[in-house]
Amino acid sequence: PLDHSHHMGIYHMDNSTMPPHHHMTTSHSHGGGDMMMMMPMTFYFDFKNVELLFSSLVINTPGEMAGAFVAVFLLAMFYEGLKIAREGLLRKSQVSIRYNSMPVPGPNGTILMETHKTVGQQMLSFPHLLQTVLHIIQVVISYFLMLIFMTYNGYLCIAVAAGAGTGYFLFSWKKAVVVDITEHCH
Amino acid sequence: MHFIFSDEAVLLFDFWSVHSPAGMALSVLVILLMAVLYEGIKVGKVKLLHKTLESLPTATSQQLILETDQDSAGSSSPPVNRTHLRWFLCHFGQSLVHVIQVVIGYFVMLAVMSYNTWIFLGVVLGSALGYYLAYPLLSMA
Repeated sequence: PLDHSHHMGIYHMDNSTMPPHHHMTTSHSHGGGDMMMMMPMTFYFDFKNVELLFSSLVINTPGEMAGAFVAVFLLAMFYEGLKIAREGLLRKSQVSIRYNSMPVPGPNGTILMETHKTVGQQMLSFPHLLQTVLHIIQVVISYFLMLIFMTYNGYLCIAVAAGAGTGYFLFSWKKAVVVDITEHCH
Repeated sequence: MHFIFSDEAVLLFDFWSVHSPAGMALSVLVILLMAVLYEGIKVGKVKLLHKTLESLPTATSQQLILETDQDSAGSSSPPVNRTHLRWFLCHFGQSLVHVIQVVIGYFVMLAVMSYNTWIFLGVVLGSALGYYLAYPLLSMA
């Protein structure tokens, strides 16, 4: 009872209209709000006591941070490669392909032929099952990368960005035309 | 954790702390522009690719398209070295744009993670505006 009125008292003094059990604050710290404080909400550069995805993966030394940097870098690179590989596999396994071409005005008054391809894939075929498995892997890795970025650790975030850039550079070297602009959150 | 309407937030960096309605309005505007930029970059990458293909000699660009369609292993003769260098530079530039896209995408995600409803609405509005402004540019040659 005394605790509860003290609890209410702090929020009453605060001019905020939040309900008493809401913990999202930056200016006061007391017992109930500790859960928010443990997760950093701004970027920082440190290698001590950095939890990475799993409770058994805690970074404490520069060496471990370097290892984690390389691992995250490779993971981001693998993710970009997986995206390109899936696109390639999809193109190779198309079953019913319909082409329709239409002339499109190009620069300098030239006429370019724009070709639209409509493709299909059988549901129980091996390529589609393989695509599904790869899709699951891709979704999991993309969430892992998001969670890594969510640690707000500067080193790890740079590893994600650099790995994505390097992977994109290496793997879409030959990918010229087929681009999906509707993909979200990359 | 749930969405709240609040004029207080700390976004992305230690120095970006918001305490006032004016500060929140400005922050929402910045996040909105970031979302617009993200959509613009997505379209920009495609346009850059098209521009690269068009500026190369026709034979080379067709060769590149054929290479990607057939996924052939070393069956085509290499293009002229100068064109190869141009393609390399353009692709390197595209990779840099890709890194910027990745970083901005994550920044917008982290901003939404603040669970501030104003920021979230800014992201939604910015994405809509960016898509609306940028998508028509895609079908222009």
